Amino acid sequence: MRLLVTNTTICDPQSSFNGKKCDLLINNGIIEDIQPSSKNFFSNIPKVYDAKGASISPGWMDMRAALREPGYEYKENLESAADAAQAGGFTSIACLPNTNPPLQTNADIEFIYRKAEKLAVNIYPYGAITKNLNGEDLNEIYDMHNAGAVGFTDGNKSIAHAGVMLRAMMYGNIFGGLMLNHCEDKNISAGGRMHEGVMSTSLGLKGITPIAEELMITRDIELAKYAESPIHISHVSSKGSVELIRKAKKQGVAVTCDVAVANLCFIDEDLKSFDTNFKLTPPLRSKNDQKALWEGLIDGTIDCIVTDHHPEDSEHKDVEFEYASNGMIQLQTAFSLISMKAPKTFTSDMLVKVLSINPRKTLKLENISISKGSKAELTIFDQNIKWNYDSKNNQSRSKNSPVLNTELIGKVMAIINKDQLFKNA
Amino acid sequence: MKKFSQRHLLGIKEITTDDIELVFETADNFKTVINRPIKKVPSLRDITVANIFFENSTRTRISFELAQKRLSADVVNFSASSSSVTKGETLVDTVKNILAMKVDMVVMRHPAPGAHIFLSKHIDAQIINAGDGTHEHPTQALLDAFSIREKLGSVKGKKIAIVGDITHSRVALSNIFCLQKLGAEVMVCGPTTLIPKYISSLGVKVEHDLMKALNWCDVANMLRIQLERQDIKYFPSLREYSMLYGLDKKRLDSLDKEIVIMHPGPINRGVEITSDVADSKHSIILNQVENGVAVRMAVMYLLAGQN
Repeated sequence: MRLLVTNTTICDPQSSFNGKKCDLLINNGIIEDIQPSSKNFFSNIPKVYDAKGASISPGWMDMRAALREPGYEYKENLESAADAAQAGGFTSIACLPNTNPPLQTNADIEFIYRKAEKLAVNIYPYGAITKNLNGEDLNEIYDMHNAGAVGFTDGNKSIAHAGVMLRAMMYGNIFGGLMLNHCEDKNISAGGRMHEGVMSTSLGLKGITPIAEELMITRDIELAKYAESPIHISHVSSKGSVELIRKAKKQGVAVTCDVAVANLCFIDEDLKSFDTNFKLTPPLRSKNDQKALWEGLIDGTIDCIVTDHHPEDSEHKDVEFEYASNGMIQLQTAFSLISMKAPKTFTSDMLVKVLSINPRKTLKLENISISKGSKAELTIFDQNIKWNYDSKNNQSRSKNSPVLNTELIGKVMAIINKDQLFKNA
Repeated sequence: MKKFSQRHLLGIKEITTDDIELVFETADNFKTVINRPIKKVPSLRDITVANIFFENSTRTRISFELAQKRLSADVVNFSASSSSVTKGETLVDTVKNILAMKVDMVVMRHPAPGAHIFLSKHIDAQIINAGDGTHEHPTQALLDAFSIREKLGSVKGKKIAIVGDITHSRVALSNIFCLQKLGAEVMVCGPTTLIPKYISSLGVKVEHDLMKALNWCDVANMLRIQLERQDIKYFPSLREYSMLYGLDKKRLDSLDKEIVIMHPGPINRGVEITSDVADSKHSIILNQVENGVAVRMAVMYLLAGQN
């Protein structure tokens, strides 16, 4: 395909054209040439996409999404997740292994790659660290690594046993297999339904103290030091967690981490009317924690933003709060929510860093930049366009979003991937 | 005529101080009624009320049922001890099935906090919360405050200590909201493991020494130890709990003032309160039970009056 993208503002801190309005010529899945729009350099290109001033950045990568296939296809499958990701501007997703059965053999990993081949977005699977996510017996992670697993995690289950975690880190480090852990000490958080604070007290719901997360992060940082292996802490949610990781990074520990869109954009007070769409793992925390998460992103303590997309059907969500499953769909709305809720100090360069550059760096995937010769995996977006998110344009098979049927600001216009242009309606 | 501001009684949090005063004035009248030889009034004739209890209850259910009968309502009772998840039928389905038989009002007890708020988004009938897990138990709070008002003349400015398992108690939370709306000062007292860490943010005092709490208060509301709602151990034994927080005659007599003793029942005699205290002149435990019927009559009468 030869495609000319005109009138687009380059948004890529790695690019010499950053901030400039340019025309991009894409040929055979590669950025062939970039010229300032004012020059009107290109002519006789049959296929032209006029971006009308919208920004273009290296394609976004979501390094944490539950795509539900195999086993829970009635909640989501790879096709519907890919549609949602495309509409939300993600050209790549890393998917969690907490499926049924879990992704825990080389065949499981190959299955995801094979099914994702014909989809608009790239899907990179994680392998489960332990057998059936039991937290005890290591899977054949080397075999999965060879099949293309980009990292290893037990999803929303923590590796509670310090010895298992230590051995997984040390063993994985032989071949560069990264371990990612959801940090939550269940001995403390068991029975908790939301962040422990004034709101949980007034709602009569058992709280989850941030200590439950911070204790395990402390442990994992110590394990990483001892094992001389990297560790990735998934979806940090509290001020204390950010502080622990900031300190560890200063000491040179190979720790990286991410934060979920929901924790950046919502807080525990949103649970006031028992809306189960806000029931999440990790829980939405206080305003103070939310502020610390943004600060962590801005100063580079937090490496990536993840959608933590987690589809649930109405049988698991439209029930009493106590019995509702945790999770929120987010692939399609992540960018809008960030656009609407980010503080002014969070620049578009930072957005590209945490949504595109760092996730690929963390998972050791090919870097994408807007420069001649780079892979044309790109996202075209406009931070000011308003749109209505409703059940008609919702691409996910599930509806568990608190912003469904509301107006959002910040729209993805198109993605370019696999040598094709995918436009949003 | 003054009207109740809410369509349902989901919790004390949702209602106004005027609503509470209105319940009290109405309950005053009903208390006279239920002490007459002919205790029945026709106020709720042609209204069908379903008492739906997903958790065991004896006194609350009987109190509601008596209140309904005294108001001449038609009553159906439905009990299911298990939660919707284990039962296979969802809460909304269960209630919709009952409502299909033309029921006007639902009195529900449910183990999940917020279950009534959830239900109110799905059904048209009026809902009265008879307890939602560890969240609220509004009619209990209303009858407690009504009983304090009856005994001490008013609630405003009074000091009330709520003693015991605050974490697992819906009575505590509703009482705090209700007493504060009426201008009382509230203290919670109990072991650290049974008091929510952030409860002082609700504007209550926190005390771990029973004698200090008793010396401070005008009224001590002794909560039942909710052993059935504790999945893990919060204190070593009932014996030790009683040593620290049990109210006995000796402790009561050592105070240089008289305080009012309350208990939402059922009493664990010898655990949170000894028999000689429960049966003493300080105790208004049985008045609470009597007032419960009058207050529940008032609530249902006021809600029905909106239609």
